Amino acid sequence: MAAPSERPRFERVDWSAVDATRRTVTPERTILAVGLLIVAALWLYDRYVAHVYLVAEWAVAPVDWAVMAGLVVLTAYGVVPAVRNREATLRVASAIRDRPVLVAALCFLGGLFVVGTVLPLVLGRPELNFGYVYQPPLGFAADAGWSPNCAGEIRQGTGIQRYCEGSLQAPLGTNGRGQLVESLLVSGARVAIYVVVFALAFVVPLATAVGVTAGFRGGRLDDVLRTYVDVQLCIPAIFLYFVGYMYVGASLALLLATFGLLSWGPVARLVRSEVLQRREDGYVVVARSLGASDWYVARRHVLPNVTNTLVPAVVHLVAILIVAEAGVAFLGFSDVELYSWGSTIAEGLSPDRGTAHQVWWVSTAPAIALAATVVSLKLVGDGLRDVLDPRGEH
Amino acid sequence: MSGDHSDPLLAVEDLRTLIQADRGTVRAVDGVSFAVDRGEAVCLVGESGSGKSVTCESLTGIVPQPPAEIVGGSVTFDGIDLRAADTDRSAIRGARIGHVFQNPQHALDPVYSVGDQLVEAITIHREVDEATARERAIDLLGRVGIPRAAQRVDDYPHEFSGGMAQRVAVAIALAAEPDLLIADEPTTAVDVTVQARLIDLLRGLLDDGMGLLLITHDLRVVAALADRVLVMFGGTIVERGPVEAVFDRPAHPYTQALFDSYDGTTRLAERPSRDELPADGCRFRAECPHAVQSCAGGEQPGFHTVSDGASTDDHAASCVYYGDGYDAEVIQSAGRAVQQSATGDDDD
Repeated sequence: MAAPSERPRFERVDWSAVDATRRTVTPERTILAVGLLIVAALWLYDRYVAHVYLVAEWAVAPVDWAVMAGLVVLTAYGVVPAVRNREATLRVASAIRDRPVLVAALCFLGGLFVVGTVLPLVLGRPELNFGYVYQPPLGFAADAGWSPNCAGEIRQGTGIQRYCEGSLQAPLGTNGRGQLVESLLVSGARVAIYVVVFALAFVVPLATAVGVTAGFRGGRLDDVLRTYVDVQLCIPAIFLYFVGYMYVGASLALLLATFGLLSWGPVARLVRSEVLQRREDGYVVVARSLGASDWYVARRHVLPNVTNTLVPAVVHLVAILIVAEAGVAFLGFSDVELYSWGSTIAEGLSPDRGTAHQVWWVSTAPAIALAATVVSLKLVGDGLRDVLDPRGEH
Repeated sequence: MSGDHSDPLLAVEDLRTLIQADRGTVRAVDGVSFAVDRGEAVCLVGESGSGKSVTCESLTGIVPQPPAEIVGGSVTFDGIDLRAADTDRSAIRGARIGHVFQNPQHALDPVYSVGDQLVEAITIHREVDEATARERAIDLLGRVGIPRAAQRVDDYPHEFSGGMAQRVAVAIALAAEPDLLIADEPTTAVDVTVQARLIDLLRGLLDDGMGLLLITHDLRVVAALADRVLVMFGGTIVERGPVEAVFDRPAHPYTQALFDSYDGTTRLAERPSRDELPADGCRFRAECPHAVQSCAGGEQPGFHTVSDGASTDDHAASCVYYGDGYDAEVIQSAGRAVQQSATGDDDD
């Protein structure tokens, strides 16, 4: 440090000598553009040359294209900034490590993501096997009369009653069409991950953008956006889904579009009210006094300071969408070929042999998966809110 | 630096800013004119609510609009008309006119390290690679007196004390080497040693040709830094002049009252808030011990040169007593009494 007698002086920096980098080409934008171009090229190839298949004869559906684009968006604006700001990421990571519950929830969701994206490609669709229906899970037994064959041991009960015991061939049992429950869980995980990716990549940015714009700009634009959100909140998504259902039938894309695009109103409202407070804060005024543009201030200073509110609200929205999808599937209005957890639960509750209680494993496994997913999301939402705030615990 | 050097760096003419409040429209800045030269420190003094901060924030238009509205006047900075619609004010802000605000704790964004915020202040206007900007951020922190700057640069604002946050706010304002620094109470929350260091730093920058517009309640800071003093009351400037002249011979009755309330330690005492100032004539006339009939009506009285032998050049007060037909001695003798009691209390 300089001695007190020494008058502090700034070294003049020769700014013109400093290497100028172009600001318009950021890694985020590059990844986004390249990724979207690849998806677009694949789509054009699929449309005009030959079908693109996920596995074997499993053609890529519109919803798969949307989710692929969503993954590109999430990579560009989620993974790339995290890698670029390594210090901030490491700080958050070390804060996460101190919270075992958050770690567990994140691990579950991470596992779910891998299971939902990779395993369906490896395993393919759940295979029908009418020779082995209602096989019980390992360690349990079921009425041997329900199935033509029993994969495990057959145990003699009282009188003519015979039991089929669970085996390693179907560790979690099978359903009424002989499909493995673990395979159904994997297919259901894929649907859940689709909902998460779609919501995070498209619905959340929309809600945030509307909320921040309305709150930050105010005036006429605020009135218009707020009125629109109020109107949108009056339209039940399920009604719109059924209207679409009458024309195009059961479709996950339709479900995501209607429920996703009609559900973000509350998040936008919440963000707006928070932004109204933040825009008066000292650092916003300072940023303006430094010559920052409105867009810059909103993105760099207002948005990060509303994450306290935004993160739990967003995660709640995702959880709601997963439950809504499962609910529609439970009612039987979704694409049965996707084997959503909701439709598997419904199937287990109305079996064609025995009672729902006797074939409990069919509905219980997806119900546990669904519950664990929603609980994990809520835990992650609250946990991330705390670790993202540099000030630490509230 | 561009521009004609015979012109002042900053020239403000008849600036007027209204603020819409619940109780009605407040004339927060009501016809303020002054100039700041290169290498000159001009100090705005006056009680809280006299319009000092709004004046400063109106210059580059960062006062929140609404509720505020800049309704008139001209602001010319280095030959650039800052009030013109086609002027890119955001290119001036930060790069050429730096701002230090009150409430330093709120001036820093809690989600970024102070280093990030310094780097940001540098890179908003200039393309700089990260290493250079970081080096400069550490240098800036060291200059404003943050110990162990190289380590503290990665700390977050909540890890800084109020005084340190204030110094960081000064560093941020200076990051892009502005030609004019507008500082709103930059030394309130810091201890005397740091204050001396900040004053030293500002003196060095003044020697390098930076202009300084300073708001402070601390008369010692005024004495240490200011070349000229502007006394504000009720949104108008009531007295202006070289710092020695204003300190030694306070000419306006309000200035005298203000210095009289100075408790001899560090700050000008806060005066009780008033219900309503007179809407016309001299804003101070309701409390002025010397008020006469002609203080009422019309605008705030024009500036009259205060001539008492020693004040040669531009010591002027907005008081009718210094005009023709009044005996200025009535006020000036009161001023001498204030000055004597102030120096009696304070050895500086």
